[in-house]
Amino acid sequence: MTATGAMVTEIAMAGLATTTHTVRMGNVITDGEIVVSGLTKHYKQVKAVDGLSFAIKPGRVTGFLGPNGAGKTTTLRMILNLVSPTAGTATIGGSRYADLAEPLRAVGAVLEASSAHKGRTGRNHLRVICAAAGLPASRADEAMELVGLTPAAKRKFKGYSLGMRQRLGIAAAMLGDPRVLILDEPANGLDPEGIRWMRDLLQKLAGEGRTILVSSHLLSEMELLADDVVIIAAGRLVAQGAVADVIGNAGSAGTVRVRTPHPDTLLEALAGVASSRDDGALVLTGVTAEQVGDAALRAGVAIHGLVTERPDLERVFLDLTAGKEAIR
Amino acid sequence: MRLVRSEFLKIRTTNVWWLFALGAVGLLVVAFAINALNMHFGVLQPPVEAGQNMDPEQAAVLSALAEPVALTSYMVTSGQYFGLMFVMLLGIITVTNEFHHQTATTTFLATPHRTSVIVAKAVAGGVFGIVLWLVTTAVTVPATAIFLDAEGITPALGDGEVIRAVLLNGLAYALWALIGIGIGVLIRSQIGATITAMVVYTVGTAAVSIIVNVLTAWLNWEWLANVQWAMPSLASSLMTSGTSLPGQPDYWVGALVLVGWAVVTGLVGTLLTRSRDVS
Ligand SMILES: Nc1ncnc2c1ncn2[C@@H]1O[C@H](COP(=O)(O)OP(=O)(O)O)[C@@H](O)[C@H]1O
Ligand SMILES: [Mg+2]
Repeated sequence: MTATGAMVTEIAMAGLATTTHTVRMGNVITDGEIVVSGLTKHYKQVKAVDGLSFAIKPGRVTGFLGPNGAGKTTTLRMILNLVSPTAGTATIGGSRYADLAEPLRAVGAVLEASSAHKGRTGRNHLRVICAAAGLPASRADEAMELVGLTPAAKRKFKGYSLGMRQRLGIAAAMLGDPRVLILDEPANGLDPEGIRWMRDLLQKLAGEGRTILVSSHLLSEMELLADDVVIIAAGRLVAQGAVADVIGNAGSAGTVRVRTPHPDTLLEALAGVASSRDDGALVLTGVTAEQVGDAALRAGVAIHGLVTERPDLERVFLDLTAGKEAIR
Repeated sequence: MRLVRSEFLKIRTTNVWWLFALGAVGLLVVAFAINALNMHFGVLQPPVEAGQNMDPEQAAVLSALAEPVALTSYMVTSGQYFGLMFVMLLGIITVTNEFHHQTATTTFLATPHRTSVIVAKAVAGGVFGIVLWLVTTAVTVPATAIFLDAEGITPALGDGEVIRAVLLNGLAYALWALIGIGIGVLIRSQIGATITAMVVYTVGTAAVSIIVNVLTAWLNWEWLANVQWAMPSLASSLMTSGTSLPGQPDYWVGALVLVGWAVVTGLVGTLLTRSRDVS
């Protein structure tokens, strides 16, 4: 599909395009990697984004995390040529968004402040986009079907609930069957069932080899959804990588929570292990449950409870972004 | 081309366009009636008292207006005042809708080349203007023929200057869309832009006209009177006046002024749109 796309563009560049639909000159992407490099946006009072660099791989769902005001929306809008960077570049499949031949066939985006004309029906909203992107109007109905909005297709946008609006946004993003999907806080306004629906959809789309970049400040949701994460705070990169790696590298290693009548004896047997007490239990860091069990046997100490606690993304996130002002 | 189709679809899938078209055609009837009464009582059969204490300059204007060519141009371009206003309002709405309903993001995602978006809006708005002009002219031509016939004057509908006036009238209808688009980009608030534009168009035009005339009479600077033709609305009526009336610049001055306004507002609108962040 992409190969033909490239060919058509070459023909167009040679000035021989006499085909039925117009093909604009520009780049056709062959892979969907998003590369952000040194991206910076300074507003008068804030450095909204400050020298940010990261890469997003195809075939995976990447969570773009950060507290409110961290610069997520600004970054995504710069990737999409809606906000002009103070410095740095962002490319999708090697091209800047503005250089893409058929942007909607390469990239679909659902952004926070994107909406539809209140007096226009959902289906007509999609048809307007189809017309601009040179897509057949039938794609509007297919996209409506994909997000389950067909029953509301002929209703005006002003009658849509928040969840329906979010679905319409996803339908709009899917019109061109893009390789890359960028979503800004898509879970906002969705009910739990809607969130689950979206999670399944995004994971399915990633499974088809597409690049999925989803921003969120809801970390619990990301842990279920994302394969990779990029975490930013105050406009700067904090951590990046596979979810498991980020959790593993974050310093907040696993803890073991143990209940025993003789905590001091046990601690002696576990010489040098960092510990703290919480609600009558010992919380040990940097040891495995096996090590604790063996030590207890050696010391002859009874164990009344032994639980391994894996740190979650939430904990890691809070640790990583602590100390950075959230709202700037 | 597909962008123009998209812009047409945007206009067609909302209610404004036919409300505006209805308003423009409704007001056309009113405007034609007023112009006809004006010509009948003011120019063709001026009341005797008026003729007596009129200064010679004004009398010259009136007699020049009574010529068939001037009269026909005047009547056949009736409805221009409100027609142009509605075309301008449509131009404003096509832009401010994008901010008001937050569709600018969607629009610029589909078309990162923002100049093309402005051009497509200008084409769609211009076509709306030309269609409105066609409808208007289809009404005014027979109406003018009937009216002048009733006044015992042979309508000069085939005259070159009249045809020129009618065609330039079409150009005005098209260009005012571009002026509206420029205003919409400058003042992004829908209510702010429409109200400002309407006030400037109606009150502003009259105010400039009055101020300039008062100053001219007061300071006795004849040239000052010409300043009022810099107003785009007055320039539009000047360029469709057929023959030159005494004390007025030629039609092409009006045409130049109007084209100048359209180019400047269009350029400013395009440059602003290109450089602005969409958030
Ligand atoms: N247009 C703007 N003008 C001035 N400051 C802005 C603008 N847009 C965003 N900011 C500021 O930039 C910072 C990052 O905002 P944003 O990218 O929206 O964060 P996030 O999406 O992560 O919540 C915030 O401090 C915000 O106030
Ligand atoms: Mg945001």
